[in-house]
Amino acid sequence: MLIELKDINKTYYGAQPLHVLKGVTLGIERGEFVSIMGASGSGKSTLLNILGILDNYDSGEYRIDGKLIWNLSEKEAANYRNRLIGFIFQSYNLIGFKTAVENVELPLLYQGVPRKKRRQMAMDYLERLGLKEWAGHYPSEMSGGQKQRVAIARALITKPSIILADEPTGALDSRTSVEIMELLSELNRTENMTVIVVTHESGVANFTNKIVHIKDGMIGEIEANARHDASPFGAGGIMK
Amino acid sequence: MRFDRDSFAEVMDSITRNRSRSLLTGFGVFWGVFMLILLAGGGKGLKQLMEKNFEGFATNTCLAFAENTTKPYKGFKKGRSWDMTYTDASRVKALVPEVDVVSPIVSFWGKTAELGEFTASCSIKGVYSNYSSIESPQLAYGRYINDMDVSAERKVCVIGKKIYNNLFPQGGDPCGETIRVDGMYYTVVGVDFNNGNISINGSADETVTMPISLVRRAYNTGEVIDLLCFTAQEGVTVSDIVPRVREIIARQHFIDPSDERAIEMMNTQLIFGIVDSLFKGINFLIWLIGLGTILAGAIGVSNIMMVSVRERTVEIGIRRAIGATPGMILSQIISESIILTLASGLAGIVFGVGVLSVVELAMTTDGILKAEFQVGFSMALLSAMLLTVLGVLAGLAPSLRAMEIKPVDAMRDE
Repeated sequence: MLIELKDINKTYYGAQPLHVLKGVTLGIERGEFVSIMGASGSGKSTLLNILGILDNYDSGEYRIDGKLIWNLSEKEAANYRNRLIGFIFQSYNLIGFKTAVENVELPLLYQGVPRKKRRQMAMDYLERLGLKEWAGHYPSEMSGGQKQRVAIARALITKPSIILADEPTGALDSRTSVEIMELLSELNRTENMTVIVVTHESGVANFTNKIVHIKDGMIGEIEANARHDASPFGAGGIMK
Repeated sequence: MRFDRDSFAEVMDSITRNRSRSLLTGFGVFWGVFMLILLAGGGKGLKQLMEKNFEGFATNTCLAFAENTTKPYKGFKKGRSWDMTYTDASRVKALVPEVDVVSPIVSFWGKTAELGEFTASCSIKGVYSNYSSIESPQLAYGRYINDMDVSAERKVCVIGKKIYNNLFPQGGDPCGETIRVDGMYYTVVGVDFNNGNISINGSADETVTMPISLVRRAYNTGEVIDLLCFTAQEGVTVSDIVPRVREIIARQHFIDPSDERAIEMMNTQLIFGIVDSLFKGINFLIWLIGLGTILAGAIGVSNIMMVSVRERTVEIGIRRAIGATPGMILSQIISESIILTLASGLAGIVFGVGVLSVVELAMTTDGILKAEFQVGFSMALLSAMLLTVLGVLAGLAPSLRAMEIKPVDAMRDE
């Protein structure tokens, strides 16, 4: 079991305490392609933050590859994020004043990889994603799909165990959405990469092999979706 | 906190991204350092110019001369005029062991020195040979008046620079030439180039210095002397012995010892002290203003870094999400602050040094520098170190704020 969540609870203490996650238990095997689906306010973003070691949980147990993720110092957390998890965000979250290749090599910078090797690896990944010619361009000069692919390259470059995608198609048109989802699916198939997609779109979830429904902070139905017929994008794959 | 090419590139990226803002922010520091360097250099130069005035003049000297009495004493009315005599000099020398040199002077003004067709206005000063330890001559040619000149009443003289220039326009060694003053002929034995602006009884430039015994005989001055100069021995301040000297002279001439106006005592040490404390005050102001301006600049840097961190919440969040530790963020922000402060500060040093060089160039006449304005290398080094420290301090608050940014904040900011 790559990811083990056991009875995770999370409460936000504001003016009114908000119990967001109410005992979430979930296991994800290595090489799975999973989506976590839920409406906004269902707690899926909180779950994603906990999965991505971006946030702490109040009680329960979260293990990656057997390692307990609990009470980590900021430095340890940063280190785990850097080496274990590749993030893909809805808004790409590329750094605007860095070129595509500089964005991709950034995680390696924090690992202390030498400059030449870093640049080489980043170029390799960009080439694999068909963006070699765009390496020297700034994010503002690229389309949404291109930007998201740069972000995917950045997520892949540290060879993480898990790819965490938070609404990866949220800002893309449906044709590009399909491209991106196919790319993730291909990564899962060919490289046996564990991919977790958080979304509220059934069309996106349909690309994954397992759909975890989350509602009001609790895990609901977990459906296998081997045939990808749960609820496809509309006719011809154009539905949003 | 390691700092290598990569972190430098990161820092330069951030600074050059907002070029005009970085420039304007840096300008505060630049101006502060520039002002400090300029003021420090200017103060130094002014002090040297001022000291030039006292050049060649013993600092521990007192000049005494006779004025009309202002108090009645032992049956004498006030307002009586009196003269100092050679006896006063020998009594002071004998009775005050702390006195080093006692040198009486006899002098005359408004004389004319002549040599052939050339003339020069001059004053005459009759001295003992030991006068050279009070106003040290800078002899361009020849020698000063010596003991033999005095005891033998030799008709010799040392002439000042201006007289030399007027009487010997062709230049060259004038020693052995004979000049005429008041119908009497004197052999030139030396030329004094001292150009300090303090001088006793006429500027050294325009003085013909002669043996005192010769002047006494030539002008028939008898026992009367015009001025009594004395210096204190090393380790004794002249102010301490002034009252005793006053008492000795007063007793001799039946003057009330408390009558300070009757025996005028000009204490150069006092004047030097005043000038010295004046420049101490100026220096204090210079540093106050200079450091204050730099500090204001550094606070500006800190402020702008604060704004910049706020603006870059998302960017910092992203960096944190993909593996930057808080330490890395801290070092980046502090590095940015240091580089911004240091770069603009160094520019200020360079510019300040440049301006001071120009000032020095302007103050140079005939290839001779009037005063050194340039600040020393150690001052530049000190400023650079100070700037680094200020850079760290300026970056401290913003970087602490940046460290508080959690990766989630970046996501929420959308």
